[in-house]
Order: sequence, then structure tokens, then C-alpha cells
Amino acid sequence: MNRLTNTLDELKNKNKKALVAYLVAGDPDIEMTIELMKLFVESGVDIIEIGVPFTDPIAEGPVIQKAHDRALKNNVSLKLIFEMVDQFRKNDNKTPLVLMGYLNTFIFNKALIEDNKNDVIDSVLVVDIPGELKLKDYGVHNPNINNISLISPTTKKDRIELIAKNSSGFVYYVTLRGVTGASNLDVNEITKNVEEIKKYASVPTLAGFGIKSAEDAKLLSQCSDGVIIGSSIVQMIAEGSQTKEFDRIRKYIIEIKQAIS
Amino acid sequence: MKLDKNNLPDKNGFFGEYGGKFVPETLMYALEELETTYEKLKNNNEFKEQFYKDLSEFVGRPSPLYFAERLTKHYGTGSIWLKREDLNHTGAHKINNTIGQILLAKYMGKKRIIAETGAGQHGVATATVAARLGLECHIYMGSEDVQRQSLNVYRIKLLGAQVHSVDSGSATLKDALNEALRDWVTNVDDTYYIIGSVTGPHPYPMIVRDFNSVVGEELISQSKELFDSMPDAIVACVGGGSNAMGAFYPFIKFNETRLIGVEAGGEGVETGEHAAPLNDGTPGVLHGALSYLMQDDSGQVKGTKSVSAGLDYPGVGPEHSWLKDTGRAEYVAVSDDAALKAFHEVSELEGIIPALETAHAFAYLDTLMKEFDKNSNIIVNVSGRGDKDINTVANIDGIKI
Repeated sequence: MNRLTNTLDELKNKNKKALVAYLVAGDPDIEMTIELMKLFVESGVDIIEIGVPFTDPIAEGPVIQKAHDRALKNNVSLKLIFEMVDQFRKNDNKTPLVLMGYLNTFIFNKALIEDNKNDVIDSVLVVDIPGELKLKDYGVHNPNINNISLISPTTKKDRIELIAKNSSGFVYYVTLRGVTGASNLDVNEITKNVEEIKKYASVPTLAGFGIKSAEDAKLLSQCSDGVIIGSSIVQMIAEGSQTKEFDRIRKYIIEIKQAIS
Repeated sequence: MKLDKNNLPDKNGFFGEYGGKFVPETLMYALEELETTYEKLKNNNEFKEQFYKDLSEFVGRPSPLYFAERLTKHYGTGSIWLKREDLNHTGAHKINNTIGQILLAKYMGKKRIIAETGAGQHGVATATVAARLGLECHIYMGSEDVQRQSLNVYRIKLLGAQVHSVDSGSATLKDALNEALRDWVTNVDDTYYIIGSVTGPHPYPMIVRDFNSVVGEELISQSKELFDSMPDAIVACVGGGSNAMGAFYPFIKFNETRLIGVEAGGEGVETGEHAAPLNDGTPGVLHGALSYLMQDDSGQVKGTKSVSAGLDYPGVGPEHSWLKDTGRAEYVAVSDDAALKAFHEVSELEGIIPALETAHAFAYLDTLMKEFDKNSNIIVNVSGRGDKDINTVANIDGIKI
């Protein structure tokens, strides 16, 4: 059993919701990313999603696109990300780490994923593959890394069942039609779809895309097993990258954590 | 429309190992809806009649196969024939596909049309068919292309569509496609995305190929009529590869016809500064399909370089990758300089100003015509006219207009 499953089980036993926070590896630089990951954990984040920068991130809104661009300017590769995670793991062997990125990066760097030296990574989330497929279907196989599947508001019932049954780690419910950071949440639709997913999934269902305020987080945590926060944190990272002052992020995470508790 | 000539792609959208459907889950429903609609309509008589009626009355098809007398004399070997897609309404082959796809959009009841464009020809063709049906239309175009194809930008606006200039990444065709996909993910319920080339996720490479195959179908009958045999070679430029695919596809089964795709060699393939993934790329996933791709040693998509906005793309349609690997088609590249030289030569010799994209196909004749004798017949697919490129060429020649 890996860290992700452990953490989600623990939360479930305590009847608590999961808080997942996202950042892009290497934005503003690799050292700061490690510091930010520590800050996330200290502030109450349960699971960290590490964005793997890609030149053509089609599912991202402008905020995260720019973060990918900044990281690419620093020549951040998947190899470098594994080295970064190794570094992080020296002081934290508990927090589950999820790599979130695009298929081309993972198939191109197949050996890194299959190797996963010292088991530093717990899960992979590939944004641009259909929900029922896993990395294994594209020739990248590591039984110790689970594959988080995405289900969206446009996923039809028969596919919801297929994907939910097929998912490991957790099911990532994309709360809106759109890219990361957009703002058109429809809570009724979300509640209905998450209920449908929960009929079939043996793993928890977390909600992400478009969650900005503590109020959004609170609403969505009521119908799901946890929430994923991305663009608003990445925006604060961008704004704080000059001064390297990230206290705002700490306050923001604490506020979200309280809202979903 | 003989749409079932061979059995590719397979039911998952693969041509051999290439193609597929690599998209965010949000788009799966839309792609399935499109596939179902297309499968239902492609053999429907009423649909086919409407398609051919529009091609005939609105586009002006069939386009002529024209004997290029002076160009033939210039090389002194085989006869050179020009497939005049530049004479289509809106000035390029792009209209064939948009005529077909807008009919699909109409049958699906979509109210909003989006498209990406590089050289602007697909943007113009999409804005044209959208205007004809009174549908809201948004065209995504890289900001660099907005600069170098300003004439087409204005044409698109005149046709009542909105042009969205895209600044992200390399600000060219690939980034316009990214942005169009983001729009589609957001507005998927009421929006139809008219992809402009044989690229993107299944079923697009198949649909765009089928609609544009009218070019190859006409070539079969025109070849019989004009020189009473199959051509010895068909030459076409390849960016995403729609004009080439439309001309090649009906000929795949005629092994006596060589199929030659010409990619953009930019500064020269050996320099790495080009847009020739079939000549200097490796398989990778971009914009929903697995195909040859220009990528660096960590799997990032590389920037491209070409004087031609329509060829300035790091990927290529998956069926071309399959045709390359099976050896059925040949893929070469010519440099910016060679294309510019051909642009001038063809203008002066034939009274036809070709698009810079098309000029790449012409440029390869310098090499190809040495391989043929006087009895052979070579077809060049004149994918579009060059009016849109006059500013670019004048700039390069140091002329102010």
C-alpha cells in the first residue's frame, strides 16, 4: 500500500476531507519548489500534486500555462523533477506525491516512471488521456504507482461506471467544462455527478478545477471526499516569486483547510 | 464520395501505430458524438448530395488539371500538370473540408464554430462557411501569424468572424490549436471545432481526409481524360498534411503513382531550424494524436521555423506517419530559400502566383524532374494561391509596398 492510499484511508477513518495542493515543478525554481512543498505540508495540505511542465498544456488556463513556461525556461525536465522529489523525501517520507502532466512527457521518459527510484512518487495523473485508460495502456508500467483517472461533467453514465471502477488512488472529478482556473462552478451538477461516481468507485472522489475561495472549497467538500486547489496557489507563487515571501499562501491554505474541516 | 476504400483508421482511430484519441476526458463525449454523426451521415444520400452541390456551386469544383507548358519545357523531362486548388473559392483547398464539416455542425445543431489557422486560409474558409449559415465564428491564430498574414486576418474579420490572437508558446499554428482546444473544452456543449488539417484526435484525421479526397478523386478521372494513364507522381506540400492527404488518399491503391510529400526545410533540415517532423522527428503525442513530432531530448515540443505560416507546425497528420513507415509515400524537405526561388519562378513561367506553402512542392521539382523521362506525367497539387504571401515575399526582397 502506498502513501496515497494510506493517507486517504486515514482521512476516511477520521471522517475528514482531503486537501490537495498543486504547484508546477521549477516555478519559480527547483529550490523554491521544495520550500513551497514543505510550506504546503506545514499548513495542512494532505497530498501534493506536482505539475510536470510541458510546452503545450492544453488543459491549463492562463495562470498555470505561464507557470509551465517559467519552469521550461529553467530547463525543468522529468529527470530533474525526480531529483527534486528525492531531495524532498529526505525530510518527508509521508506526504503522498502525485505527478500531473501530459502523456508525451511520460511516454518519452518511460524509464524514469518505471524505475521510480526509492519509490518517491506515489501516483501519476495524465491530463490528456481518456478516463478509462492508464499509462500502462501506453506501454509505461509500474504497479506501485497508481493512476488517477479524471471524470468530467460531460462524461456519460456508462463511461462514469467504467472509469470509476478502473481508477486507483482517487477519482479526480473535473468540476467544470473548461481549463484550470476557470470560474463557472455548478454545484448542483457537481453533487449529482459525484454521487453517480460514488456508486461505482472503490476509491475516494476528489473535486478540482475552478475552486478559488474557501467558500467554494467548503461547498465542494460537502459533496466529495476532498478538494484540489491549483490556479489560485500558482498565481500567489507567481506574485511572490520576486520577494520569495509566501506567507499569503500559508494563510490561504490554512483558511481552506478550516473551511473543509 | 467513396469513403471506405481502405479500412484505416481502425475503430480506435489508429493508422498502424499512429493516430488515436489523446484528449482530456471532457472532450471524449464530443468526439464520440462527432464520430457517431459522421458514421451516420457519410453514406447518407441527402448529405452527399448537399456536399457535392456546395462544392460545385459555391466552391466552383471540379478544379482544373492544367498542363504547365513552360514549366515542363523548363525542366525538359516529363509533363507537369497542376491541380488548381488555388482556383477554389477563397483561394485554397481548405474550403473542401470546411464545406463538409459545417454540414456536420449543422446536422448536430451546433450554434458556435471555432477553428485554428496558420496561414489564415483555413480561418478564411471556416469564416466563409460559417457566414453562409449565419453561425457565430471564432478563429484562433498565433500572434506571429497575425502579423505575417495580415491580409487574411482582415478577410476573416470582413466575413464576420472574430480573430483571437494567441501569444502563448511560439505564437504560431501549434499554439493556435492549443487555444482552440481550450475553447472547445470550455464551450463543448454548443460548439463545433472545425479542425483544418488531417491532425488532431480521431475522428478528425479521417473526416478531414475524406472531405478533401475530392481532390484525388477528380485527379483519377482527369488523368485518364488528359493523358490516359495514372500519373507517375503526385507532389504536394505537407504541414499538417491535408492537401497532400486529399490528393494521395485515392491513389494509395495505385502503386504505379509515386506519392511525394514536401515538408518545410526552413534554414535546412541539417540545421534543426525547420518544420519537417517526417524528415527529422520521432513519434510523440501532440494535439490528440500520436505521430512524428519535433521534440527535444526531454520530450518537449520544439519550436519550428519556416517562411510559410501554413507549414510552420511541429507535428503532422498520423496517416502520413503511417504512409512514411510503410514506404507508400516519400517525404522530403526543401529550404525557405528554395521555396522562395520557386515562388518567383512559377509566377514568371506560368502566370500563377502560388502560396508559399505550395511553392515548397514546386521547389522539389528541381530534384524530382531529373528522375523522369519525357513520357512521364507529374502532378503538382497547387494547394493555394499566393496573394496572402505578397507582403512576406516583398519584405524578404527588400521591397516596400
